[in-house]
Amino acid sequence: MTLPEIGLLLLVGLTAGVLAGLFGIGGGLIMVPAMVLLFSFDQHTAQGTSLLVIIPAAAAGSVTHYRQGRLVVGGALALAAGGVIGALIGSTTALTLDDGLLQRLFALFLIAMAIRLLMKAPT
Amino acid sequence: MSAPETSTAASRLSLLLLCGIGIGAGVLSGLLGVGGGLIMVPAMVLLAHFTQQHAAATSLAAIVPIAIVGAVIFGRADNLDIPAALILAVGSIIGVQAGARIMPRLGDTRLRIGLAIFMIGVAITMLFA
Repeated sequence: MTLPEIGLLLLVGLTAGVLAGLFGIGGGLIMVPAMVLLFSFDQHTAQGTSLLVIIPAAAAGSVTHYRQGRLVVGGALALAAGGVIGALIGSTTALTLDDGLLQRLFALFLIAMAIRLLMKAPT
Repeated sequence: MSAPETSTAASRLSLLLLCGIGIGAGVLSGLLGVGGGLIMVPAMVLLAHFTQQHAAATSLAAIVPIAIVGAVIFGRADNLDIPAALILAVGSIIGVQAGARIMPRLGDTRLRIGLAIFMIGVAITMLFA
């Protein structure tokens, strides 16, 4: 990796992290397209890498939220119990899909999430 | 408003509901390599009566084990770039701290609309790439 590439990756991570903290998302919506479009990753590797990044980023954000008293521990455990089962199903399925198809699925999800963001009532 | 009270049958039902929300978010997370917060947060607000802030904070904690499972499965299929992940993670960890701190003060509609338009542009590029 060249120095400009490292700098750009850092910037992508920073942007994804800020948005994750702001909207409670993992930042994958920003990181995956950045890896695919700016760094020519294949869709599968971009997604796997995104999940790996999300682990420490979400953990760090959780600590901050917990200290500020916003984290409902029992709720998180219940979500995680279902989430782990779902993640097993989802990622196993993703690995069976063609890379181009997965990229299109991701793009459609991105559009759906953008529309949801637009329709949210002004705060 | 505060977090849901933990008592009796109502809370057992809400735990079951949260578990169901987790399954949906987990499938999406594993399938598309995202955290799943964009699904969990609105579901928690609408169905489980969380406040926006509690939902965002709580879903972020649940994302940790969800992402671990996904990363392990993608990793076993050799779909990980560890050096890139390390650099992205450094940026993300700094960013997520900043984001979590400014969240209580944030009410910016323009940021949301700008982000949404940007996301649509990116999606169209991906569809035709």
